[in-house]
Amino acid sequence: MIASFNELLAAGEGRDLAQVLLDADAEESGFTQQQILDALAKRREVMWECVRRGKLNAGLSMGKLVGGEALTMAAAFDAGKTFLDPLTVKTMIYSLAVMDENSRMGVIVAAPTAGAGGVVPGMLLALEEERNVAPEKTIRGLVVAGGVGSLVSLKANISGAAGGCQNEVGVATAMGAAAIAYMKGGTTRECVQAGALALKNVLGLVCDPVGGLVEVPCVKRNSFYAVHGLTAAQLALAGVQSIIPMDEIIDAMVRIGRALPRGLKETAEGGLAMTPTGCAIAERIKGEANDRRQAAADERERVAAERKAERGEGKD
Amino acid sequence: MGPVMVGPSSSHTAGTARLGRVAHEILGEDPVMLRFFLHPPLERTFRGHGSDFALVGGALGLDVHDHRIPEAIRIAEQLGVDVDFAEEDLGDVHPNTVRIVAKGAAREVEIVGSSIGGAAIEVFSINGFSARYKGDSPTLLLFYRDRIGMIHQVAEAIAREGINIASLSCSRKERGKDAFMQVDVDSPLSSQGLAKILALDEMDDARYLDRIP
Repeated sequence: MIASFNELLAAGEGRDLAQVLLDADAEESGFTQQQILDALAKRREVMWECVRRGKLNAGLSMGKLVGGEALTMAAAFDAGKTFLDPLTVKTMIYSLAVMDENSRMGVIVAAPTAGAGGVVPGMLLALEEERNVAPEKTIRGLVVAGGVGSLVSLKANISGAAGGCQNEVGVATAMGAAAIAYMKGGTTRECVQAGALALKNVLGLVCDPVGGLVEVPCVKRNSFYAVHGLTAAQLALAGVQSIIPMDEIIDAMVRIGRALPRGLKETAEGGLAMTPTGCAIAERIKGEANDRRQAAADERERVAAERKAERGEGKD
Repeated sequence: MGPVMVGPSSSHTAGTARLGRVAHEILGEDPVMLRFFLHPPLERTFRGHGSDFALVGGALGLDVHDHRIPEAIRIAEQLGVDVDFAEEDLGDVHPNTVRIVAKGAAREVEIVGSSIGGAAIEVFSINGFSARYKGDSPTLLLFYRDRIGMIHQVAEAIAREGINIASLSCSRKERGKDAFMQVDVDSPLSSQGLAKILALDEMDDARYLDRIP
């Protein structure tokens, strides 16, 4: 079993990174390599379906705070009104599309979580489309992304509640960066460097969702960190190196997560959630939830009364 | 990579749905009553993230990617399942921890578990016994009376099925009284194999959980 990035570097020296991870995963899990690849092929399909649905849908989220971000960006792109290069713009659109779908309770792939689930598909699918990457290569990219996420999760809980957004979107951007480096022909060392550069530069990011919903700032944040991951992959492929090794960055992330105050770890009791606007939104959402509960309780009572009346009539 | 799931949160929706599903699998029948006791931090955020219907959906036996998950509370109402939520301080545990009590016609099950992120779960109490279930391997949960040789008998029965034991742990409430054994195995156990274990002397109940896909 490979238990650290240091071990991965040793095992993957001069070898195809996805193959190294597949070998290790097949041995550990008891699944065949083909079963693992099939499962990831399915996830790639779900990701594409999610992107296609998401960029055409402006339906509002459960908390009504987000919903049409992908559509807005896609419209600007289609009208020739974006100034960044198409790969970057599509990365943003696709990551937003997944998150919009997620906020509408659509079917998505947790990568590694739902709240950070736009980053990896945004990056990988945009690259696949813009650079004509074979789907099989994208699937192997998902092997790399998953492998990076699994190795991080051996040391860190992957949730905002455990250590803030660095543990979610930070891990996602590291997974995506390593996968992109792999899909662009990077060596094992370059892929791990890409992950390290991405993760190192997200450390300290807090989780302070408005109203406790996976909406603000989560949806737009995914597009930022998808592009951040591209930056990391580009730096690594050019030969730029992280001075701090990946394993030590993860240790630092865990320590920072512990040091973060509770209010900034998914409790909606700090940061953006406690701004005047954030508090007003939370109040509205709470009120609406109470109204819904009341309506449901009234309905139950009405149905119960009706049934009782029916039974009463039956006796007569 | 994480699972295919219904949004919006892998901790609050997928992880909680899996915890509900574990209760359902141990129960092994349709529930008639479900009680969810939420650790305070989870209680504060669970409705916004859809944990309420995810827990119920899982406990009804739905998968994390089932599109009926958002409708789970209504489905439970239609089935006449008695559902309730309450806050309960579960001690020094992960913020997203819940105690689930599920009652069916024949069994009653209580689990305490945490949704630790990325849809991963850890169940650390089953019917009051300490456990360590993460769903990462096929697992046997055995409830029996504490007698000499039980581990030997169980290990032998599993070996006869041609199955390797990855880990095994026991706990009991009192010497000679109710005891619990969790056996993680490397390959799936057939229903006939399970029946043989259930037929052992002093075995009160035997439940088999497949690896969570």
